[in-house]
Amino acid sequence: MTVALATLRTAFLEAWSNRRGFWFQVGIMAANDVAWVIFWVLFFRKVGNLRGWDTHKVLLLFAILTTVSGTGLGLLSNSRRLGELIAGGQLDAALALPTNPLTYLLTRRVDTALLGDLAFGPVLFVVAGDPTPERAVVFVFGALCGTVVLVGFLVALGSVTLFAGGRGEQADLGFQAILIFASYPIDVFGGLTKLFLFTAVPAAFVTGLPTSLVSSFRWPVALGALGAAAFFALAAATTFRIGLRRYSSGALWTRV
Amino acid sequence: MLAISTHELSKDFSAGRGRDRRRLRAVHDITFEVERGERLAYIGPNGAGKSTSIKMLTGILHPTSGEATVLGLVPWTQRRELARRIGTLFGQRSQLWFELTTRQTLHLLSRIYRLDGDDARRRADELAELLDATDLIDQPVRSLSLGQRMRCELAATVLHGPEVLFLDEPTIGLDLIAKQRFREMVVRLNEELGTTVFLTSHDVADIEHVADRVVVINHGTIIYDDQVARMRRSLLQTKLLEVRFEEAPGALAIDGVQVTPESDTVYGLVVDTRRLSVREVLDELLDAYAIADISVVDPPLEQVIAEIYGGRT
Repeated sequence: MTVALATLRTAFLEAWSNRRGFWFQVGIMAANDVAWVIFWVLFFRKVGNLRGWDTHKVLLLFAILTTVSGTGLGLLSNSRRLGELIAGGQLDAALALPTNPLTYLLTRRVDTALLGDLAFGPVLFVVAGDPTPERAVVFVFGALCGTVVLVGFLVALGSVTLFAGGRGEQADLGFQAILIFASYPIDVFGGLTKLFLFTAVPAAFVTGLPTSLVSSFRWPVALGALGAAAFFALAAATTFRIGLRRYSSGALWTRV
Repeated sequence: MLAISTHELSKDFSAGRGRDRRRLRAVHDITFEVERGERLAYIGPNGAGKSTSIKMLTGILHPTSGEATVLGLVPWTQRRELARRIGTLFGQRSQLWFELTTRQTLHLLSRIYRLDGDDARRRADELAELLDATDLIDQPVRSLSLGQRMRCELAATVLHGPEVLFLDEPTIGLDLIAKQRFREMVVRLNEELGTTVFLTSHDVADIEHVADRVVVINHGTIIYDDQVARMRRSLLQTKLLEVRFEEAPGALAIDGVQVTPESDTVYGLVVDTRRLSVREVLDELLDAYAIADISVVDPPLEQVIAEIYGGRT
């Protein structure tokens, strides 16, 4: 854990080394998030209510989404690039160190722009999420569970490169899909699509369940969120660990 | 005492996709031993299996079959334990953080290797002095030249005092001066700290100036293993001269020299140094002709390897 924090600190220092660029990117992302908030406010002012979702609830979802993406894709930016790193042989540097290569890689790079999300999410919760100490704790719990599911899903997909070769394109597709679905209220989807969002592309666990928990806390839902986080963390760690045996270190060939 | 030992170590990759998928053997049953404190050059042409071997010995790749130990540890099953005791430097990959100073990278590495903070700082300063990088380690890595960066890379590689140093083409891309300095530093680390050196390179000069033993690998198989001094005596028995004459020399014939005209005034000469020295050839040329320019080089490594390969089959 100490090594992970030290690596993350160094990654942050690297992002911070260009301060003007740092604040510019953070500011642009925050402005982009504000534009989304304006969009949702205008949308629900017109529509009123959509399958139980209103402005308040959708802003809560957006607060969780930006917090999750800020943590999972901003602080642990390599989660979405893992397949590409594997294909390019960039695991070598991590494997040459006496540390857990997955933890090292995940904490090795910070995406400055997405730190804007990380700053924006909690602020939006405070402004529009009716914060109470209890709700704040549930918000943090939900965002953490959502982050673990998002990162676990992306790491597992990226690790498929270790088995299937290629350039990690599947991770990029998964990244696009989960973020798009996680951006919308879960109840606008129905039937098989909803099932899909609880299984193949687990967007429901990234924002849907955490939002529902903050709105009205229920233990079964909390346990479901925790269970999903544990499952995806385990799936990611296992897929990566088993796949490492097949790592070919960027050779144009693929390990037999 | 052994630093490295391999026995019939092999590695297969698959190439292509679908129906075109086929198995390729990158390293084939290699067996060798390296004593502690030795400086070994592990050489071969592109695709010979050098990097694959080094990556198996450092635990980065799992072998398809065979056995290996480094400092008594199996690299691919005891990778983390081994990584604390070895240093690995890839000439084409940087371990430094581009936007930060080398000192900041060294600080992180000291945490990763669990070094005491004061000891690590002292060690960083000592290394900076040893590697002539005192002025460099507080500059952002992006502002360093390649040669300067490689000195800092070496500092990062040996910060934790590795017992074995794996260097994979460390001098690639460096200019002559930077290469020379880098070689001197590697030799100094070996002589002063007793670090075992395992070096891969395409540069004959790396082998001549750093290694005391050479292992040649080609098509994944070890085809030569001997002391460098012995290899030089037995195999580097030719020197290549490129001579540019002021005017066409006409018929050019020197006993013990193979002459190849490249144009009317430019000739390539292959001198058999067992029969006569380069100096004798130069004297003869300078006495007989008006010379505009002369360059003397060793035969390329590929040619040496070809000779080794030819001698063994």
